[in-house]
Amino acid sequence: MNKVVTIHLNGTAFQLEEAGYEALRAYLDDAARKLAANPDRDEILADIEQAIADKCRAVTTDHRTVVLSADLEHIIGEMGPIDSGGSAATETESGGPAAGSSQTPPPRDSASSSAAGSYKRLYRVPEGAMIAGVCSGIAAYFNVDPTIIRIAFVLLAFVTAGGMILAYFLLAFILPPAETSAEKAAAHGIPATAQEFIRRAREGYYGATRTFHDKASHKAWKRKFKRDMQDWSHNFGREMQAQTRHWQATWHDWASHPGAYRGLWFTGSLLALMSAGLTFVWIFAIISLLTTGAVFGLSLPVGIPLWAGLLLLCFLFAILNSPLGAARHAIWRHGWGGPPFLHPLWGLWSAILWLGFLAFLIWFANRYVPHAHESLMNVPPALHHAADSIREWWSRR
Amino acid sequence: MGIDEKFTAIRKGLLEFMVLKIIAADKVYAADILKQLAGTEFATQEGTLYPLLSKMRREGLLDYEWKESEAGPPRKYYELTAKGRSQLRETTDYWQKIDGTVKSMGPKSD
Repeated sequence: MNKVVTIHLNGTAFQLEEAGYEALRAYLDDAARKLAANPDRDEILADIEQAIADKCRAVTTDHRTVVLSADLEHIIGEMGPIDSGGSAATETESGGPAAGSSQTPPPRDSASSSAAGSYKRLYRVPEGAMIAGVCSGIAAYFNVDPTIIRIAFVLLAFVTAGGMILAYFLLAFILPPAETSAEKAAAHGIPATAQEFIRRAREGYYGATRTFHDKASHKAWKRKFKRDMQDWSHNFGREMQAQTRHWQATWHDWASHPGAYRGLWFTGSLLALMSAGLTFVWIFAIISLLTTGAVFGLSLPVGIPLWAGLLLLCFLFAILNSPLGAARHAIWRHGWGGPPFLHPLWGLWSAILWLGFLAFLIWFANRYVPHAHESLMNVPPALHHAADSIREWWSRR
Repeated sequence: MGIDEKFTAIRKGLLEFMVLKIIAADKVYAADILKQLAGTEFATQEGTLYPLLSKMRREGLLDYEWKESEAGPPRKYYELTAKGRSQLRETTDYWQKIDGTVKSMGPKSD
């Protein structure tokens, strides 16, 4: 007796034997990876799914509704390996034996070798979870002890003043739980990938240092790099401080005027709302970059990897948000002329307002803006694609 | 390098030409193209054809429209653009020149 899996291929439901399903999934995952750099990836994948659906439909009848594993192997063989463009090796595989007949070559080894296990995805792992299994999932992904990830999460929660807690619940919402055995296997992937990662990083590091011919020049380079970084962070910190002082002075003037209380509450609340709005725009920019590869119609230039785009977005957000944050901070910390017990109250109010407004914006967009709702629904597969593309980029190096 | 691998390189270079020719004759969908190529030296598979079609569309050589099919979901029917037709003409001319050169060089076989 074989387990049967129901799947949707480009909108049509099919019942597949489990082993066949695994092979198909491996084939499609492999196709997605090979096409990662192709601007028409999604469209080609949809075409491929459609072609597979047509072939599946051809083998099912009224009496036989299940697509057998053998059928699927034959279908995958017929589809042939995906030509990622430029690589002659793939072409030989698909073109070589095709000269005589169209009863095409069996590229079975490519499908089964990928099924053997380089598939790794970020899932929540509910077994042994403390809350929702986000930390267990991340730990499984990087093959480390969940406790380490949990400790890191808690520390970061303190450092980011609770921001990490929000991130946790976002992840709990976004990540799918690993339920089937296949998903559980994918959550762990092949063992020792983290070690491999570290090994490569180390090799790269030593490789780079080896290019320095003598120790003195290497040391000089290291010193210079260190000094540059220190200068940069020093300048950045000084500028931020100057800005905060400037805001503080301004608020102090205001606060000393009679009737400034109300003005302060108002301005402070407004700042919190602005900050929440900015965060909202940032979140959607990230989602749209992940799902469509473009931000507000601006797509990433070819050759710039996705992670660099994400990093750039985070950097922009930090730059735009820092004056707002400094102003809010200045208001509740120093600019307040009233009784001291109100200071923490104002901080709390500001935080609640920020979180509440942000939640409201997301809820509103999800409920009333179809495009935003669609983007939110696209987040989990997009995250997987992003993770795949990052891994692809890494393995290509 | 085996003789078949050498032929593979030639076939790979000419596949785009073949696809242009097939689409020039009639509006076709991907399975039609595969069917026409099957049994010839250029027999290929979806895994190769789909990325090629999408590349050609990006280059503005062809375009497609969705059409209902009698069985199953709508299909993409491909047709050549003006640019695609002019590339087909140029490639055909070039191919004839190559063919002439191949015949005129070296020992005459017949």
